Amino acid sequence: MTVIYHPRPNPIVAAMYTLRDMDVDVVVTHGPAGCSFMASRPLENAGVRIVTSALKDNDLIFGGAEPLIRTLKEAKKNFNPRTMAVVGTCASTIIGDDIAAAIRRADLGPDCNCFAVDCSGCMADNTQGAIRAIKAGLKAGLIDQAECDRQISLLKAATDLEKKRGMAAKAYLSPAVSPTKMHVCRVIANALKEGKKVAVIMLAKKELAYRFADMFVAVDEARKRLGGKTLFVANMDGSLGLPRIRRYCSNINAELDADGVNIDVMCGGLDEYAVVGEKAKAAVDEFQPDLKIIMGICHAYPDMGKEDILITDQPRQLANYLEQNYLCAVGEVSSHTMVMGATGIVHLETADTLREIVREM
Amino acid sequence: MRRIAIYGKGGIGKSTTSSNITDALAEKGLRVMQIGCDPKADSTRLLTGCDKPVTVLDIMRNGEEPTLADIVHEGRNGSLCVECGGPKPGMGCAGRGIIAAFEELERLDAMKEYDPDVIIYDVLGDVVCGGFAMPIRNGYARDVFVVTSGEMMSLYAANNISEAVKGFRQDGYARFGGLIQNSRNVKDENDLVDKAATEMGTEVVYRVPRSPTVQACEGRRTTVISGAPDSEQAEEYRRLAQILYDRSENVSGGMRLGDGGSGCDCD
Repeated sequence: MTVIYHPRPNPIVAAMYTLRDMDVDVVVTHGPAGCSFMASRPLENAGVRIVTSALKDNDLIFGGAEPLIRTLKEAKKNFNPRTMAVVGTCASTIIGDDIAAAIRRADLGPDCNCFAVDCSGCMADNTQGAIRAIKAGLKAGLIDQAECDRQISLLKAATDLEKKRGMAAKAYLSPAVSPTKMHVCRVIANALKEGKKVAVIMLAKKELAYRFADMFVAVDEARKRLGGKTLFVANMDGSLGLPRIRRYCSNINAELDADGVNIDVMCGGLDEYAVVGEKAKAAVDEFQPDLKIIMGICHAYPDMGKEDILITDQPRQLANYLEQNYLCAVGEVSSHTMVMGATGIVHLETADTLREIVREM
Repeated sequence: MRRIAIYGKGGIGKSTTSSNITDALAEKGLRVMQIGCDPKADSTRLLTGCDKPVTVLDIMRNGEEPTLADIVHEGRNGSLCVECGGPKPGMGCAGRGIIAAFEELERLDAMKEYDPDVIIYDVLGDVVCGGFAMPIRNGYARDVFVVTSGEMMSLYAANNISEAVKGFRQDGYARFGGLIQNSRNVKDENDLVDKAATEMGTEVVYRVPRSPTVQACEGRRTTVISGAPDSEQAEEYRRLAQILYDRSENVSGGMRLGDGGSGCDCD
């Protein structure tokens, strides 16, 4: 068994993101004030209220029910949420706080659907936190059984993918600094100019589609100026997934539509990146491209080639690709912060670099 | 399903009492599961005759997922014996261990598999933290009884447990069933225990007399019910077991009471 010791995503935060995707209005972290702080801020930008029960040493000794009840009542008074979820943390889990009982004691009234997500940071995979949130969402009536089962199977597939080919396959990865985007963009521009076939494949995870989608726009512009042929494949089927994720698709697709950019193959939903690689590949193989650009969770594409251009947002994932000699990999680091709360396509550095090169040609 | 928790001060005879209750009910043909909630894992010793049974946490310690066959041991008269186990003394968190072991039993759907008529939780000494309160919280146990003698410290512990149960009562979980007097022949013992019961707002449900038969059977790693079935002391335990059975509530649900396993009777 590989012992992974670089910092990993966290089940508590995974639960919080999943609650956001189910359109929960307020999330209470039942733990120390600073727990999940860095993740809370972007979630707040995305329109979710995050509050904390701010457990202190005495609460660990005497039990955390009182501060939680106080927090729930305050949150109800100030935000009047329709749905509110309490996420367990390591501290509250170790002392065995009964979150569901505290929620009942807080007596928030019939207009507030408040429920507990039993989770902590010490569960094996971060997706376990997301699965707990999904199950709690089912019990609270936010999603139906079919969506619950679908989400759980997708989360398991995502974990398997990370363990087989992603960051969880390596004991330690040092975050890489991205090479400049000049080289890969010249390759793209030259290919189009020579009339070659370029496939752009996006296997994006949720909101990151807001940034990667910019590449479709830039490549489409380049094709119009320089020639060549393109095939656009994306996992942006707006009829699949949790409510918020579907809205991402409709926002992006509407904007692409307005720009006259057509996605040739919709290979699945934004939460299906881990399972639609084969489907994307089948469409790409039929096109027989001279050059492939793979964006998002690139390793979800079944056979990445050493010549393929890979665009990832994660510095450790970039290190993983570069270490394996995928030398046309570039990183769009900090993308996640930029897309939290976005409602339209956010410019991608690689796309802007391509635009600049095309202008100068 | 009846869900009975037996608490009491350390060394007062909880495990001996619990095991004899389990054996007496099992002898009548009931399916009884005894769950030992003490890191020492010696609750079911008299039922299985085994000093070092494999505990739930023994298997989880190695990062493995136990199967029910690994952790549910057969005891006398077909009783089902589970030991939660725990960390080495002075290490980690035994309370968290109890919580994790319960969660594991739930994950394995132990109650659906064995469908016991009665669950007996035998819980360590005092309610020292959230973990040891677990059986009386979250809807695991319904009826809580405390074993006590007339000794001051034992009554003091009984009072603490009754306070804890009252504290959780508003959440719709367990209720306090009364005291079981395990006589030590302290001076004026019956009066002392009666008085304490009145102060707690409860009653003494049974007085088990002191008898050398108990120690004799323990020496042979057996319960009195199985080791000296025709003895007067065996009759005493049979009567106690019947009283607890009659006084406890038959509640539906899985490992936790309530149809949805919500653990709460207040909805």
